[in-house]
Amino acid sequence: MEIIKYILKRILQAIPLLIIVSMISFFIIRLSPVDPLAELRLNPSVSQETLQKETQRLGLDKPIIVQYGKWAKSFIKGDLGVTSNGEQVSTKLKERIPNTLLLTTIVIFLTWIVGIPLGIVAALNWKSNLDRILTVLTSIGMAIPSFFFAVLLLIFAVKTGWFPVGGLTSSDFLEKSLFGQIIDIVHHLILPVTVLFTLSLAGLQRQMRANLLDVLDSDYVKFARAKGLSEFDVIYKHALKNAINPMITLLGFEFAGLLSGAALTEYVFQYPGLGRLILEAVMRSDINLVMASLMMGAIMLVLGNLIADILLIITDPRIRRTNV
Amino acid sequence: MNKLGYVVLLLVAGLFIHSCVNVDLPEDYDKNKTSNIKSEKYYREYPTQLNVNKDGVDYLESQAPIGKFGGTLVASTIGEGPKTFNPFNSKDNISSTMSEVMYDGLLATHPTTGLPVPKLAKDFSINGNDYIVHLRKGLKWSDGKSITADDVVFTWNNIIFDGFGNTSTRDSMLIDGQLPTVTKVDDYTVKFTTPKPFAPFIRNLSTPIAPKHVFEPAVKKGKEYFDGFMSTNTPVDKFVTSGAFRLKEYVPAQRVVYERNPNYYVINKRGEKLPYLDKLVYLIVGDINNEVLKFEGGELDVIGLQGANVSRFKEMEKYSDFEVYNMGPSTGTMFLTMNLNNRKDAKGKYYVNPTKQRWFSDRNFRQAIDYTVDRKNMVFNIANGLGAPLFTAESLNSIYLNKNLKPYDRDIEKSKQLLEKSGFYWDKKGKLFDKYKTPVEFDLYTNAGNTEREAIGVMVKQDLEDLGMKVNFKPVEFNSLVNKLVNTYDWDMVIMGLTGSPLEPNGGKNVWMSDGTLHMFNQRPAGYNKDDRFDWEKKLDKIFTEGALATDFNSRKKYYDEYQKIAYEEKPFIYIYSPLVISAMRTKFKNLYPSMLGGLTHNIEEIYIER
Repeated sequence: MEIIKYILKRILQAIPLLIIVSMISFFIIRLSPVDPLAELRLNPSVSQETLQKETQRLGLDKPIIVQYGKWAKSFIKGDLGVTSNGEQVSTKLKERIPNTLLLTTIVIFLTWIVGIPLGIVAALNWKSNLDRILTVLTSIGMAIPSFFFAVLLLIFAVKTGWFPVGGLTSSDFLEKSLFGQIIDIVHHLILPVTVLFTLSLAGLQRQMRANLLDVLDSDYVKFARAKGLSEFDVIYKHALKNAINPMITLLGFEFAGLLSGAALTEYVFQYPGLGRLILEAVMRSDINLVMASLMMGAIMLVLGNLIADILLIITDPRIRRTNV
Repeated sequence: MNKLGYVVLLLVAGLFIHSCVNVDLPEDYDKNKTSNIKSEKYYREYPTQLNVNKDGVDYLESQAPIGKFGGTLVASTIGEGPKTFNPFNSKDNISSTMSEVMYDGLLATHPTTGLPVPKLAKDFSINGNDYIVHLRKGLKWSDGKSITADDVVFTWNNIIFDGFGNTSTRDSMLIDGQLPTVTKVDDYTVKFTTPKPFAPFIRNLSTPIAPKHVFEPAVKKGKEYFDGFMSTNTPVDKFVTSGAFRLKEYVPAQRVVYERNPNYYVINKRGEKLPYLDKLVYLIVGDINNEVLKFEGGELDVIGLQGANVSRFKEMEKYSDFEVYNMGPSTGTMFLTMNLNNRKDAKGKYYVNPTKQRWFSDRNFRQAIDYTVDRKNMVFNIANGLGAPLFTAESLNSIYLNKNLKPYDRDIEKSKQLLEKSGFYWDKKGKLFDKYKTPVEFDLYTNAGNTEREAIGVMVKQDLEDLGMKVNFKPVEFNSLVNKLVNTYDWDMVIMGLTGSPLEPNGGKNVWMSDGTLHMFNQRPAGYNKDDRFDWEKKLDKIFTEGALATDFNSRKKYYDEYQKIAYEEKPFIYIYSPLVISAMRTKFKNLYPSMLGGLTHNIEEIYIER
């Protein structure tokens, strides 16, 4: 009961935040000197009448406050509006979200399944050769900009012909058997996953290592050891439980990055995800599409934090007592 | 020992990867060796397709060598991909290309002569204002229904003239507020009548024809419904087409796949129905770099090339499986223009500073700038030698090009004489002043991000500084630039480009007529009715009005020769150069007849793969 009250409180707190985010984004986009009709205006074969009709259709002839009001009203009703080409924003997003989720969930799953154990191993073997090698490798992973790494891998793909040059499926995808289709997608995913994996693995591994080292240094671990508990019990029952807490907060942020975290890599690999769609939308000031994606990002962030906090309440009794 | 082991392992891995890497260019190849590509201008003549009648069906017979059936051609398109597959709704080039693959028009343009040639129509005749079009008998849509005059009349009257979708086609045909009429004579004959003689009309007959049985229900549901009809979300089996291909699969942000239309009406000399290819694929790629990588990685069969890539590809051609084709100068024009606007805005303030107005409206000043701009240098340094200096308002491949207007070289002495004639003088440091002792200084704009125009801007600035002018070069964001050009008019000089038609100069009337929406060098606000035209603007207005009414090519040519001459002398636009259109295509594709007007794959149904 307590926890439901807490969730409701948090959701209510998020509402003014979302309103402020939406207002700032809307006004910045609309006040920037980007004219969504610029291309049409410079086309000699487009008549004045067509331009006027387009201006009315996009609502550009009304004051900005009215435009915002109109947008907000339909947003609350759950209608994301249409893109500047007249397509439904929701269908556009629906086309891309599964692709992005496919990529980001694979990456998050891999990094957590590899990063956490590696962090633990490094902390337990502190200052050993293994720890040093891992540190060097993760430093490299953190130091390479994702954009540059992605381009390098693309060139590698072109020169060796081992991997497809971007995209998600081959052009003869439909003719393949189900097994062939799965292989084809995996083949296309290897490079982008490699880029994102190397990048986030480094951060996660280091975080886990540092947390565990902190905990191992604390008084209660020393006390547990002094009490004569087995090393296994000390580490996996007492230390690890406490070291994992900050990682849960991190998981909340990872959740927020599910839809937007891979944008740059997506662009380089021509991956048909949200990143490319949003970038192109920003370029031509396609307000409904940009707003939908920004709001989605904001909501995901709020949700991610909420989930992390709830998980923390469940795992950490200290927070339960003070906060709720 | 351990360390040595690592080193050996690394070396082996390195060698292994190296042996798998494709050969690229030698380090020392000549980057400017593009001269050998320019001469390859003349390809073999395209064998025009002929009408034949077989078993009561009016086929179009391909005269190209007989090929083999099967295979796929993978092409690409840069950007977001198509926004609609409805040819009547498309507002951008990609959507038009993607929908026109599927729908043929009554007529098409001959790839070398530029004359109208029959497609869905068997033949046509022009009799004053009347255009009589005979359709082919026995043609079928991809779903097996017959293509008849009803489809043509429906397309024109109920879709185009009633203002469904993109109304540009309709608007361009309004003559004194009147539209042409379209009537059915019999099942296979249609008569078009224009209210006045109107030469550009014939080109409009290449507009796609819609299947009435598919489009009529949508038209009945109103314009709003029609805007979303046959969109990218429509299931592929709903498309009923008349073109060589029909839609098979659309994957957003990845590709569009077409399969052959089994009912297509072009046959080869053996009587087999074309196209030869089973599939046509357009990959949707985000940018040029990715497109080049995809071609090099073997995922693409054909690619358009620009700048430095041309010489690289030309060098790689020797040991690769593709050939580089040069299709001649492009149809677009790139130019420098000055703001001749001498009007005041609503607040009574001049759009352009009166001092600058005095310079810009002086023909000697404009000509001086024209003679100072070093076009050859720009072609060499910016376009890697792959361009042709441009001096005329019509592009170099236009069938209306006025060939009497001769190109000339940079002549700075002549510029100085022209400026002196108008009272300009130089101080001891070589700075230019006008006769009221004001130093000559103005802003030059172009759209930021377009590297070619930015490079031109830098060179123009340097060239004009040789005359003692101070030029402040300011690349600005594309949208703000357009806003300056069409709304606020607060600019001095700008580098811009426009697309043009090599077949129909009347398309430029929005630019050249004084009330046009793109008459940017002297833009008048909408609804402006004071007559303050320059004499040559009056002449241009007259030419564009009368040129559209004249019917035969030769009398029209006279009008459009005259307009190019006025533009050549008055220099409202200082044209710079036209880049060459260059493409590469895999050699396994046969029956290629590259041409300036049609490009590389204009005869897509005749192209086949040699195995």
